[in-house]
Amino acid sequence: MTSASAPLPRAPKVGGRILDAQLHLMDRQVLDHDGVPVTTVDDLEVSGPALDVEIAPGSPAPVITALLTGSVLGTRIFGGRPPSSRLIRIPWKDVAEVGVVVRLGVKGEPLDASWVERWVRDKIIARIPGGSHDPR
Amino acid sequence: MILGDLLGTPVLDADGGRLGRVADVRFVLDGTPHQLMAEPRLLGLVVGPHSASSFMGYERNGLTRPRMIARILRWRHRGSFLVLWEDIAVVGNRSVRLRPGFTRYSTALDDHAQA
Repeated sequence: MTSASAPLPRAPKVGGRILDAQLHLMDRQVLDHDGVPVTTVDDLEVSGPALDVEIAPGSPAPVITALLTGSVLGTRIFGGRPPSSRLIRIPWKDVAEVGVVVRLGVKGEPLDASWVERWVRDKIIARIPGGSHDPR
Repeated sequence: MILGDLLGTPVLDADGGRLGRVADVRFVLDGTPHQLMAEPRLLGLVVGPHSASSFMGYERNGLTRPRMIARILRWRHRGSFLVLWEDIAVVGNRSVRLRPGFTRYSTALDDHAQA
């Protein structure tokens, strides 16, 4: 173990771009491939490791499998997180770019993440007179 | 596993000594290539001895302005270090335990950042 007071060595160089979860992914807005806002990244799902199990030396590192979103306002205020089954997953294979926002390579419309917006549009807004067509 | 469960978890050395908390989790985009982006592979954990989370990453990049905020946040996150995946022995519900002889690396994200 290196001393805590000595200047720390740089981490070994890696081939790919570095992403820090809190700094570069969490709470970022998610846009679909047409630039339409879909949701925000509330959490991330990782492929491992198993909890409380000794990690064998040389085990492959886990990877991010999905962006998670859902109704987290209450748990942000009062602590904890919604049950895993209540979180909506956007698979990582749909992510096209990570920058100031996270861009998807697919349309946002069919994703589970935008069902509340679709429901409000179809069940409430569309029933308001003039609500089913573009304003002229 | 949900990553939010890992953030803020205490990090212990092999003897059970407390080193800090998981302030962030570092990934590198070099996993299995997909049509759009490669899978982000877990590279390591950013451990903060004095804070349970990181704010704006001043301790990891070369930003120095606004000077007062940069100084306060660098001080708050002093002593932060990166441990690689290879040095992690157990990830538990209540703590993360490192292997004996683990190495502390700088958390710097670029060449201009302070260690």
